[in-house]
Amino acid sequence: MINFDNAATTFPKPVSVRRAAAEAINSFGGNAGRGGHELAMRTSEALYSARDTAAGFFGASPENTVFTLNCTHALNMAIQGVMSGGGHLIISSMEHNSAARPAVSLAMKKQITLSFAEVFPDSAETVESFRRLIRSDTRAIVCTIASNVTGQLLPFREIGELCRERGICFIADGAQACGIYDIKLADGINILCTAGHKGLYGITGTGLLMTDGSYPIAPIIQGGTGSGSLSLFQPDILPDSLESGTPNIIGAVTVGAGIRFITSYGMSRLRAHEERLCSLFISGMEDCGGVTVYRHPSAEYAPIVSFNIGDMPSEQAAELLGSRGFCLRAGYHCAALAHATLGTKGGTVRFAPSAFNTEEEVKKLVYNVKTLKNLPNS
Amino acid sequence: MNICILDMPSYTYAVKAQRLLRARGYPCMIKRRERTPERGCGFSLRINGACENALRVLDSYDIPYSVGGGDDNDKL
Repeated sequence: MINFDNAATTFPKPVSVRRAAAEAINSFGGNAGRGGHELAMRTSEALYSARDTAAGFFGASPENTVFTLNCTHALNMAIQGVMSGGGHLIISSMEHNSAARPAVSLAMKKQITLSFAEVFPDSAETVESFRRLIRSDTRAIVCTIASNVTGQLLPFREIGELCRERGICFIADGAQACGIYDIKLADGINILCTAGHKGLYGITGTGLLMTDGSYPIAPIIQGGTGSGSLSLFQPDILPDSLESGTPNIIGAVTVGAGIRFITSYGMSRLRAHEERLCSLFISGMEDCGGVTVYRHPSAEYAPIVSFNIGDMPSEQAAELLGSRGFCLRAGYHCAALAHATLGTKGGTVRFAPSAFNTEEEVKKLVYNVKTLKNLPNS
Repeated sequence: MNICILDMPSYTYAVKAQRLLRARGYPCMIKRRERTPERGCGFSLRINGACENALRVLDSYDIPYSVGGGDDNDKL
């Protein structure tokens, strides 16, 4: 089995991450921040170390680094938390449902007004598209850094600058970019949301929300935090205010280990490897003929490639490739807006390599796509 | 020896403060609060040495705390 569905979650995980998970299960079995005994204190220290590692990686402070269940959880907290007082929200036309659905839900309940900024291959046009939609009551802009469908990189630094000029909160979705690109809050991001189990190589059930503290985030979940237990009100201090209930401590420890893996491997080396695999795949598809690759010469892309084989339905292509041992995600990738923007009515097949894929594996995939093209129903 | 006890608003701030102070040569440890204040349980930071300088370090990093411990201060 060869996994090219790493944009959904990376697999395999680095050995160091697997070891960290085992160590966490064996040694960090207490509840972080909840007790004073040895086991609880040891566990609390492990959670803090993971928090500190993540904070350092993204240029955040540890107390403003919140562990979440996944990027969707983080985006929901950010969007609902920042927009709790109402106002106007702008999201891009390439957003994942994790941003689009909470935004649309708030708009349908008439708690906010919502605009969609069209994304173009040209970055300047995309920034202008956001600029045109800004109103006096615009409170926040939500924008993905890299599309989870095509990998298209959005001009997040320019959008961040636009937000800073206008006093608007910039919420960035880093799910497909973090771990691949050096992204810091100082890039103009007020709130950065990301997954822990994708490019950061942690286990599933992990995500992160990092804030520069400029915009208060009202909690959408309240409960036990291990602090101020006699108060019936949620603490207003981070990370406690956004981390009710026992956190995924084992998961957080693996995120810390994953970040250390990326740092020791070298982020630019890792990115170059994945980009090389994408280039090899794209050139193989070009040789094929009849394969549509969803890339535009004017745009820049993270190492993700969306494609379709002739008129073959994307799900059928993925299923046939799956029967030959390749794991690729087909369909709409939980991104209704992005597919509407691309005009891909039948969805696409997505190729997403990781640090652990090889050129040989890509060549095998290319060969198999070529043979699929010769099927009678293709 | 003077012992300074600070009540920290969260475990995260307790560790952050501990690491900052230890890096500057202040021996300190995190303990569960022995006496629960009005708001309930939490964590304290016990710093061996004069409080004043340690507090200056925490203030410079905007770390929130309240001087706690009551009668325990300077006793241990």
